[in-house]
Amino acid sequence: MKLIARLTLQVCLFTAACFAAAPAPEAAQPGEELARMPDVSGRYGGHLTIGQRSEPKTLNPVTVTDAVSREVIGRLMGDLIEINRSSQQTEPALAKSWKISADGRIFTLQLRKGTRFSDGNPFDADDVLFSFRVYMDEAVDSPQRDLLIIDGKPIVVTKLDQYSVRFALPRPYAAAERLFDGLAMLPKHLLEKPYREGHFAQAWSLNAQATEIAGLGPFRLKHYVPGQRIVVERNPYYWKVDHENQRLPYLDELVFLFVGTEDAQVMRFEAGETDIISRLSSENYNLLSREKSRAGSQLADMGPSLEYNFLLFNLNDLGGKKLEEVSGKQAWFRDLKFRQAISSAVDRDSIVRLVYGTRGAALWGNVGPGNKLWINQAIPHPSRSVETARQLLKSAGYSWNSAGQLVDSRGHSIEFSIITSSSNGQRMKMATLLQDDLSHLGMQVHVIPLEFRAMIDRVFQSFDYDAAIMGLGGGDADPNPEMNVWGATGTSHLWHLGETQPATDWERELDQLMQQQMVTLDYAKRKQLYDRAQQLIAENLPFIFLGSPNILAGANARVGNFHPAILDPYTLWNSDELYVRGPAIERAGIR
Amino acid sequence: MGIKTSILLAALAFSHLILLFAGFFAPCDPTTQDRELPYAPPTHLRFRDASGFHLRPFVYAWTSSSAGEQSDDYQENYREDRSREFPLQFCVRGASYKVLGVFKTDVHLFGTTEPGKLSLLGTDSYGRDEFSRLLFGGQISVAAGIAATAIALLVGSIFGLIAGYYGGWTDESLMGVTELFLSLPWLYFLLGVRAFLPLHLSTVRTFFLLTGVIGLIGWARPARLVRGLVLSLRHRNYVLSARGFGGSDFYIVRRHILPEIAGVLLTQASLLIPRYIAAEVTLSFFGLGVNEPAPTWGNMLSTLQQYSVLVSYGWLLAPAAALVVTSVLYSSLADAIHRG
Amino acid sequence: MSYIARRLMRAILLLLGVSALCFLFTEMAPGSFFDEMRLNPQISPATIAALRSRYGLDQPLVVRYERWIKAALHADLGHSIAYNTPVAPLLWSRAKNTLLLSTTALFLTWLISVPLGLWTGARPGGQVDRLVTLVSSLLISVPELVIAMALLAIAVRWHFLRVGGMMSADFGDLSAWEKLSDLLLHLALPVFILVLCETAVIVRHVRASVLEVLQARYVQAALGYGTSRTRLLVRHVLPVAANPAISLLGFSLAGLLSGSLMVEVVCGWPGLGPLILEATLARDLYLVIGGIMFSALFMVGGNLVADAMLFALDPRIRGEGNGADGH
Repeated sequence: MKLIARLTLQVCLFTAACFAAAPAPEAAQPGEELARMPDVSGRYGGHLTIGQRSEPKTLNPVTVTDAVSREVIGRLMGDLIEINRSSQQTEPALAKSWKISADGRIFTLQLRKGTRFSDGNPFDADDVLFSFRVYMDEAVDSPQRDLLIIDGKPIVVTKLDQYSVRFALPRPYAAAERLFDGLAMLPKHLLEKPYREGHFAQAWSLNAQATEIAGLGPFRLKHYVPGQRIVVERNPYYWKVDHENQRLPYLDELVFLFVGTEDAQVMRFEAGETDIISRLSSENYNLLSREKSRAGSQLADMGPSLEYNFLLFNLNDLGGKKLEEVSGKQAWFRDLKFRQAISSAVDRDSIVRLVYGTRGAALWGNVGPGNKLWINQAIPHPSRSVETARQLLKSAGYSWNSAGQLVDSRGHSIEFSIITSSSNGQRMKMATLLQDDLSHLGMQVHVIPLEFRAMIDRVFQSFDYDAAIMGLGGGDADPNPEMNVWGATGTSHLWHLGETQPATDWERELDQLMQQQMVTLDYAKRKQLYDRAQQLIAENLPFIFLGSPNILAGANARVGNFHPAILDPYTLWNSDELYVRGPAIERAGIR
Repeated sequence: MGIKTSILLAALAFSHLILLFAGFFAPCDPTTQDRELPYAPPTHLRFRDASGFHLRPFVYAWTSSSAGEQSDDYQENYREDRSREFPLQFCVRGASYKVLGVFKTDVHLFGTTEPGKLSLLGTDSYGRDEFSRLLFGGQISVAAGIAATAIALLVGSIFGLIAGYYGGWTDESLMGVTELFLSLPWLYFLLGVRAFLPLHLSTVRTFFLLTGVIGLIGWARPARLVRGLVLSLRHRNYVLSARGFGGSDFYIVRRHILPEIAGVLLTQASLLIPRYIAAEVTLSFFGLGVNEPAPTWGNMLSTLQQYSVLVSYGWLLAPAAALVVTSVLYSSLADAIHRG
Repeated sequence: MSYIARRLMRAILLLLGVSALCFLFTEMAPGSFFDEMRLNPQISPATIAALRSRYGLDQPLVVRYERWIKAALHADLGHSIAYNTPVAPLLWSRAKNTLLLSTTALFLTWLISVPLGLWTGARPGGQVDRLVTLVSSLLISVPELVIAMALLAIAVRWHFLRVGGMMSADFGDLSAWEKLSDLLLHLALPVFILVLCETAVIVRHVRASVLEVLQARYVQAALGYGTSRTRLLVRHVLPVAANPAISLLGFSLAGLLSGSLMVEVVCGWPGLGPLILEATLARDLYLVIGGIMFSALFMVGGNLVADAMLFALDPRIRGEGNGADGH
């Protein structure tokens, strides 16, 4: 009987929630400082539906780990400083202005006055202090904690007055204001209690009631139907206004629908059941563009992303482990000419054509054409030449036996395996193309698809692999997030993990360059340093770079202000500016 | 054996013969990529051209449509290049292959001369000939499917027979074991097995591994089916009387029980063979399938799991069609044996 | 009575065995939940290690198993790492939806398979029989995922059916009758796919056993006596041919929670399938083990029902003790 009572209650709440219309934007209060977006215009009303590949797991911005949850949380939360995904520059958000000290260590932020959370409670410096305390608390174990620890020392946050906060970095950090994007400001009046009582990680799970959650984002939680959808409604207190001083967001509601697989996403989008689809694969993009004349949709190819895919060789120290086979092959992998020959023999054109359906870019370095601010244009892009590859191998002491196989100076034939994640079709395709390319050099290459986590285990833990095809990048255009990849002691220094010292001279120079650019505040000087770093990487080939996919997104024709970008979240970063075009505005809740 | 059974057996034998000598019957090498021709539709066999009707069919080469059409919509729109004809030839020399893995030769039953390409069933995403891949792929797939089914049914029927015949505690414990087998998370076991094995496995080893794994997991169902039947059979009057006459357990099982369960086993076989062939799709997700570039019907089917491929390139459904044909043949055979 | 006690003991042993082997298998599989974070260069290994130990993932296997057993005895199946909520309510809320789907499919499958199997078995080689064989071969050979996707593509273009989820966005506004029709329209596609795939298998078996029984001498004799075909089929053939079918029914019952996984994922049905699939791939241990325990319970239940029906059908089976001597 209790079950029936519970079900009835759920249905009633449902009904009530569905009946409640989305709240109208609040009139501006005196003393409230609003952020005016002079280029933004649109009209109120309507709702948009977004298909997600799986269900979000939590609404807690501090403990969140998966991208799907972050997509939802990002609509509910606000940051002090935002990165405009379109221009890739920082913009004032909850902090209306900031001053940086001459040595780049002290940031003084002025908060907007009169800002309120989505439940009407005021926002001030106390909330900022509380938020940073939670992020940096070791007991909470937030994945974002490491962003705020520089050189092993935490950033010190002090309240100057009700609307200004000071951040003291242990040492200068280039583009430090970019750190603030993604660090959501938490409501102290709601979360202090769970934090004090030690169960912060359980706060704001999917079971939370809408009244328990309050944020500074354009939307607030309306209701969640387990396994099916999350509906968020307009935040009537949102602090951004358009060029006519109308409070954003335009949309009444945003519906996140859990659709299942990417194919199901595409099918539902084609049928008009979802309005926005982000991160399409090129096959699906081409499929949708063929049907474009039938469906009314706007498809956008934003050009190459920040992601870089590469072939990685196992250059780790295998001292303690019993991996004789792999260590025998490392003699080849460590030979620069061997890697150069492989890079010369790779058919990058076919990768762009066959893997990315021409919607991608070939890469010879870690920064691709999508990153306009930081790419080193001087790095050579040699076209494929099997001849050059053969010359390089010959000069390195390799030769071909009577069967046409490549053998090293000791007479062993060159044979190795490439592992890749079986769930990533694009990388598997690259591996198959590479296998064929390298067979022209007489190398015998095996393609081994592994389950994703099994592959990660081999690359990071057991080191039991020869080569792997993986991808990195995509977080931010700035070089700083990549410190752990290129720094010698970095934790993502994939080809040689666990180094305490740089293993080679060029790695030492690279390490120094990365450390230097991290503390250089001037963009031009940083660019010079990073250019040199890119040159080192492209010359010494710790990774053999392959290609980068384009960012492909699509929206229904009725979606206004649809401006996808190459930084995550690709289509929803301006969710507060999206609006519904067309004559009639449907009321919230359409079949 | 009736006429129908003989015809079916002949059809099966013929189709398996083609698979066995795939190298001879396939016009192209299954692993040669042609990066200019991904997803090309099947080449049309033509008999008629500008100069009239020819007895010997010929094909045109595919070329990409003019580049101008590719601006917004990337699809290799192919059109036939009518400038050159490639007549179909028999006993033509082409890519070399090994007959039964031993003799090296390069004679193919039919084909065209270079640079013409005869792709009867189109090409896949790397431009490899689908028809040739189908034939070579059938070798491993059908053999693995039959072997795995045989293992599963053999082990399953032994367990089921013992459990059903002796009943009581034997039955309880053996059925408990089958329940255990049916409940376990084989995903993790498979991942563990993969981690334990060396990274690179030759195709032959992978084959044995495939059959072993599928048989290992698959015996539980037939076991329960057989057990249910045997439980009922052992009380039949003729069995009781045979026992009364002093027949040993082994004799009774062989003479009286086995023929009765043959029906269920045959039906299971006709169901399991295509299932196990398709199961390779799931296994390859865990790294336990046959690796590139070797073709199998399983890994050819896995490309069909993408909506865009399913909708745009219908000729890639060939392995599914081949599986259906195999399935129909085997089930008709099972049916005919059952009734004959 | 002792039979019930024996089955109960067997069930408990099974659950213990499954749980122990689950833990063992998950230990064998490489990788853990937090591996995805390793790829993010901005998260330090120290944080990852701290998270691992917070969820107890760095404890030795035996310790974890012990802790889990002790909690399970109090009906606490642990916490999901991804959702940060207790496992049992999470599973139960989805299991309800899966059960709705699979019981409907089960009912319809058997409703269709048995008469169809009887018909084609009684008229082998006829038109219906050939059609059924061809269609069932098609359905068995093509992987379920491909079938589901093809049907989804058709359903999405044909706007009559509701695809995805269990209820529309405005479910609360509807009248009771509209609610029911909304639910049914959402249920239609996944049930259709499930029924198609399962019917193909069961029809084959029913047909084969019907064929076999029809060849038996007593059936020929009955025919000779002039019994009508229908009466013959229903009263004489069906009970005997039912034996393998009952075992299959047991499998269907056992698979009520786990059999519809693929269909739920493709159609977006909010059941156990998508939850468990994701949890398995993500190594969300306690959620996976909880799900397996749930399914194992159904396995036990399903087989119990099947055995009961077997015994009811053929009381001779119940002759216990050592079957070899029949006493």
